[in-house]
Amino acid sequence: MANTPGSPAAPHNSPQKGEPSDQQLVMFLEHDQLAADTSVPVPRALLSRRAHTALWALRVFIILVSIMVIYTFAANLK
Amino acid sequence: MAELDLTLPPLTHEDLDRAADRARVYHAREHGRRWYLLWLLLGPGILAMLGENDGPSMISYATSGGAYGLGFFLPFILLTFAMAIVCQEMCMRVGAVTHRGYGQLVLERFGPLWGWFSAGDLIVTNVVTLIAEFVAIRVGLAYFHLGAGVAAALGLVLVAVTVLSGGRYWRWERIVLGLAVFNGLFLVAAIMVKPHWGSVGHALLTWSPFPGGSFNTLLLLIASTIGATVTPWMIFFQQSASADKGLTPSDLRQGRYDTIAGGVLAAVFGCGALIAGAALAGHYGAGIEGLAGAGFPASLKPIAGNTAATIFALGLIEAGAVAVLTISASTAYAVGECLGVAHSFNSQPRRALRFYASDVAGALIAAGIILIPGAPLLSIALNANVLATVLLPMALIFLIMLANDKQLMGEWTNKPSTNRIAIAIVAFISICGAAYGIDSFLQAVHLIPAG
Repeated sequence: MANTPGSPAAPHNSPQKGEPSDQQLVMFLEHDQLAADTSVPVPRALLSRRAHTALWALRVFIILVSIMVIYTFAANLK
Repeated sequence: MAELDLTLPPLTHEDLDRAADRARVYHAREHGRRWYLLWLLLGPGILAMLGENDGPSMISYATSGGAYGLGFFLPFILLTFAMAIVCQEMCMRVGAVTHRGYGQLVLERFGPLWGWFSAGDLIVTNVVTLIAEFVAIRVGLAYFHLGAGVAAALGLVLVAVTVLSGGRYWRWERIVLGLAVFNGLFLVAAIMVKPHWGSVGHALLTWSPFPGGSFNTLLLLIASTIGATVTPWMIFFQQSASADKGLTPSDLRQGRYDTIAGGVLAAVFGCGALIAGAALAGHYGAGIEGLAGAGFPASLKPIAGNTAATIFALGLIEAGAVAVLTISASTAYAVGECLGVAHSFNSQPRRALRFYASDVAGALIAAGIILIPGAPLLSIALNANVLATVLLPMALIFLIMLANDKQLMGEWTNKPSTNRIAIAIVAFISICGAAYGIDSFLQAVHLIPAG
């Protein structure tokens, strides 16, 4: 999720020369960039009834047009 | 440091590889090495755009050129890529800010039903498009007297090599970028057909001559040209790849450069395919199916010479091959994100079996289908783009909702001007897709006369 402006993308302590340890290396990641963090689901959005209706209307419209396109494609094959 | 250790969750191979990439970005930024920084951060945008300059797209552009010559479609390609840049910038921004892919965010934010609808749309269009990619490889190889078996094997070997070299996003990205450079072959082909550059300039400035002939064919080519530049897989791919690459809000400027560079290159190369195809206008009647039968490269040979035809054929092979890799990647991201399993090219194959299996599975199905004799190849290629156009508005609406989600995006939500443009794009694409779908359906059921 969004970070506050200026949140550290930079490490807390720069790695030393040579091979950095895993702990040092991972400091180059933002905290919410770790696989463990991104696997935590974001909270569900609350959609208004109007938004729901609009999404379903678009969904139905798209399914109908898709059926038309697929039917036409199949009909042209014959 | 001890305190930090306590707060860190268990680290994965994926975390460490991404951290190594971020360390290089950090040092490049610290030392003011701007060009090196850009080099490190380039990738998802260029791959999405050049990946979409794929086999069916190039065939679609060349078909438009062959059927109508220079004119309306040349500036129309530029317009559609401008639309693509607006959409893809949103993908990059959402991926960089949330560190999550499109499929995962739709599923978590709007619920499993919408998440699986989106993934379902993607998988359907991806399988059809992958068939079309193998068709393009087959058409290109046919010029060198190589058959469908070689096309299927080439595509599958490429997918296998990139997967087996796996466990590293950076390596995967650079291999595909290296192949994508050869999309420029279409520009070389355009130069070699020796077009009348004054006509090119006239077409770009005036959008004329406007195409005549069959209204339905025109609608098909408009819808497939849109589907050749903005598609559901690009949305899934660029957002997920941006997150996989490890982009952060501090990289948004370079992410935009990457997206714009990809869009400009793809537009120029796409126009190249159209200009090369336009050399065929007025020859052989230039019927679409006729060109499919002869193969574009073979049709070009007597007009522009063997070298131009060879370059066009190689371009088709490259376009198909790169798209097989990027589209397969988008399927893998979508499946991994919706199943909630590992979904990163930084994951080792044995720890992300379903991710890598999805990557290979789509290509395997498509390769099998092109081996069927007598398949209507050009029709599949054009209709793959049309289907993508029809399904695109739903994907774009969710993208716009995500990019405006204050809770997810914080200060990086869409500007009002971006929203106005994005909504106009959705409306335009919906109308074009529906116009073709309804017109051709009414013709197919004989409610209106053909033509």
